[in-house]
Amino acid sequence: MGKRLTASIIFLLGMIVMFWLEGRRPDPVELLPSISGEPEYCLTCHQDLPEISPSHPVDIFGCVVCHGGEGLALDPDLAHSTMRGEKNPSDLLVVEASCGGSTCHSGSPTEDRDHIQRVTTSIQSTYAGAIASVRYSFGAQNDLIAHMGINAVQDNNSATDISFLTAFNPTQETQSSLLSFAENCLYCHISAEPLPGEDYARLTGCAACHSPLSPDGETTHTLTTAISYTQCNTCHNRGNYSLRDMQYHPREDQYSGRLHEYYQPIAQFVRCEYTLDCIDCHTRSEVMGDGDIHNNQDEIQYVQCRTCHGTKTELPRSYTIQNENDPAFRFALLNPVIDLSVGDTILITEHDEPLWNTRMLADGTYELFGKATRQRFVFQPVAGTNCGQNPDEQESHYCHQCHAVER
Amino acid sequence: MNKKLNRRGFVKLLTKGILTISGGLGLGGIIRFFAYYKNEYPANEINLGPADQYPLGSKTILNQVPAILHHTEGSYKALSLTCTHLGCTVEDSEGAFHCPCHGSGFNADGSVLNGPATQPLQTLKIELISDGTLVLYKQ
Amino acid sequence: MPRPSFVHHLHPAKIPRKQARFTYTFGTGGLAVFLSIILGISGILEMFYYIPSPDRAALSVQTITYLVPLGGFIRNLHFWSGQLLLIITGLHFLRVIFTGAYTSPRRLNYLIGAGLFILALLLDFSGYVLRWDVDIQWALITGTNLLKTIPVIGDSLFKFVVGEALPGSITLIRFYAWHTYGLVAFAAIFLIWHIFRVRRDGGIASSKSPANRKPDRISRFDLVDREILAMLYGGAILIVVAALLPSPIGPPLTGISPNLGQEQAPWFFIWIQELLRFGDPFLFGVLIPLILLGLLTAIPYIFPKLDPREIGSWFPTSGRFAQGVVVVIIMIILIFTIRAL
Repeated sequence: MGKRLTASIIFLLGMIVMFWLEGRRPDPVELLPSISGEPEYCLTCHQDLPEISPSHPVDIFGCVVCHGGEGLALDPDLAHSTMRGEKNPSDLLVVEASCGGSTCHSGSPTEDRDHIQRVTTSIQSTYAGAIASVRYSFGAQNDLIAHMGINAVQDNNSATDISFLTAFNPTQETQSSLLSFAENCLYCHISAEPLPGEDYARLTGCAACHSPLSPDGETTHTLTTAISYTQCNTCHNRGNYSLRDMQYHPREDQYSGRLHEYYQPIAQFVRCEYTLDCIDCHTRSEVMGDGDIHNNQDEIQYVQCRTCHGTKTELPRSYTIQNENDPAFRFALLNPVIDLSVGDTILITEHDEPLWNTRMLADGTYELFGKATRQRFVFQPVAGTNCGQNPDEQESHYCHQCHAVER
Repeated sequence: MNKKLNRRGFVKLLTKGILTISGGLGLGGIIRFFAYYKNEYPANEINLGPADQYPLGSKTILNQVPAILHHTEGSYKALSLTCTHLGCTVEDSEGAFHCPCHGSGFNADGSVLNGPATQPLQTLKIELISDGTLVLYKQ
Repeated sequence: MPRPSFVHHLHPAKIPRKQARFTYTFGTGGLAVFLSIILGISGILEMFYYIPSPDRAALSVQTITYLVPLGGFIRNLHFWSGQLLLIITGLHFLRVIFTGAYTSPRRLNYLIGAGLFILALLLDFSGYVLRWDVDIQWALITGTNLLKTIPVIGDSLFKFVVGEALPGSITLIRFYAWHTYGLVAFAAIFLIWHIFRVRRDGGIASSKSPANRKPDRISRFDLVDREILAMLYGGAILIVVAALLPSPIGPPLTGISPNLGQEQAPWFFIWIQELLRFGDPFLFGVLIPLILLGLLTAIPYIFPKLDPREIGSWFPTSGRFAQGVVVVIIMIILIFTIRAL
């Protein structure tokens, strides 16, 4: 009899051990996003993660629709095994599955809203201009037309004559300079991992611009359209490439403060160019592409001083908002630095891109709200001032001749 | 009766007790095992399409809900066609409604005409949204 | 003396004490029955949540593992009992060989036992496939393709097992039907028959020497008591193992996933995977394993004679040849398994 008592006690102990171990497992925290209707349990471990942005609330989107992963699994290895792009689902290799879809950021009829198509064909992604000019310089191609990009891309609806780019393949280049080019000069396109160092630290894909790192260099769970110049400067204004020795030469000046940090020592710039952030002037199609494959940066970059300030003889282009469906409201919603109303007159660029963070005031001046700083600036148009510039020579570099800032 | 619990009896009792506790734990475990319930996202909203499909004075049976939609002067009204007795879909018979399962009867306004149902047919919320479509809420 | 219950009546009234010694059989047969019962109960519980369709199977396994209260435990219990069953059945077979318990009149029961072993193997493999995650895909594809290599009946056999050109939803539901019902039904029948034959053949094999004519016996009550003890201890160990050790799980299988998944065969087939490196799939993947299995099954017919006085003791000298053959075959399997690791 005693034997069965001992055995029963051991059996009961076994059950108690089992229940105790079960009790130690964390309770699953369920999230039921309305976009998919399927429950996810990521929050069991990731409860502390902040909302990524006001336009992507977690109770509508959940986590899995962007990140992939196994939403039902509570074991990290299995749960993360099918995640797209590891921590960055916007990496260009996986961006279509993560950010794409006709109700999301790709596949919509007007190219203006197919962000994935426009970004993957943009100069910042393809690097087509740099590749074309370097290959031309060393005789690998005999024109300055873009034939190759970092990745192969296609544009079936091209308004330019270029409907595709093949992938630049260093192993098929014979020129040693081109091999050095591939090794030393390809750290600054959107698919590239940046050079080491906190000056260069950024993510890839959409996150390269839209997910700035924290001041400590940590990745943060954010998507923002309020992008400061410091984000652009993880690639821009970091140094120069030399064609002669096919090397990258980082800038060597010691700087402190925005005035000196913003631009490289060789640059000429006026006051608003360092007080404002890059995106206050450079438009969506300049940065993210216009959906077509272009030969180089010059073809896509068009904003000039006169876009906002006009010329001696012309006021800057503007239009009056007619109804609530105006795109300016949509842009302002994403980054609410300005309170627009129907009837407001705002500036618009030469390519019909609304400068939604500006507004014409009653006295003929204009106000602008910094997209990253939220600062308000009031400025005058050139018309009616003492500007002595030749009316046929209105490109920005002419304005710099008089108005450039001394460092 | 002289109930003496000698040592052997005590051991037997203790053994039975421990095995009963183990059995209880096991049964409790199995009951908890069966208690899992998957939350589905409730398919609450149904898009009925453009409101012009339902002209003034019309009465449209919506099979997918199931409900009947009246467009009367000034408003849209939706009446659920789920019988309040045990859930069958009632049939339209000259304005009134009759349930084929157990014979419940409802008037055109949903009130109970005859049992076994005791509750009237539910009125469902309906909204005309800005782009001209009607949205029904199933509750 | 209390009145025997139903369970008591399932057992013989008395059995010789020598047959019931733990150090004789180590309870391997009884343990196999116990594990089968645990598998049946844990399996039925899993059936309330498992969904046998390719797009939902792996997710339902994840639901059981992570979301259902005690689901992970039940699944671990099922998995470990299954693997242990193969090992215990193998040990039971070794016990039968090394105690000479395979000679007449036990030869039919030996064949039934071989059948049970094959059924256990098929149950383990079909259960493995039911996970339908990336780790099972190569075992499923190569295993079913091996069927096609069999001459004459290969294509029909493939169609019978897989049910379509490439393993998919029909295959999954067939494996599910086999695993939860078909193979279980056969196994239940064979098991009952096997246990009946044990009694019919004179109980657990023991020596036919004159000294054993009227052995000392234990009653059915004693026997059942011992079994209860074994189940309590075995159960406790199984529960703790299942609570501590997780069972394998991988991301769902959504079409052929190259570069992903476990290339190594399930542990009980590693030796066949190693053999397959050598050449012709039919020869090395089907024929040789079947020949080895056939040899093991035919032992009672190849070596039918054994000194009756030695039956029931370990390593009877008159059974050296049979033991040798078995050792060689087991070593072959072990060597090829270890080679791969």
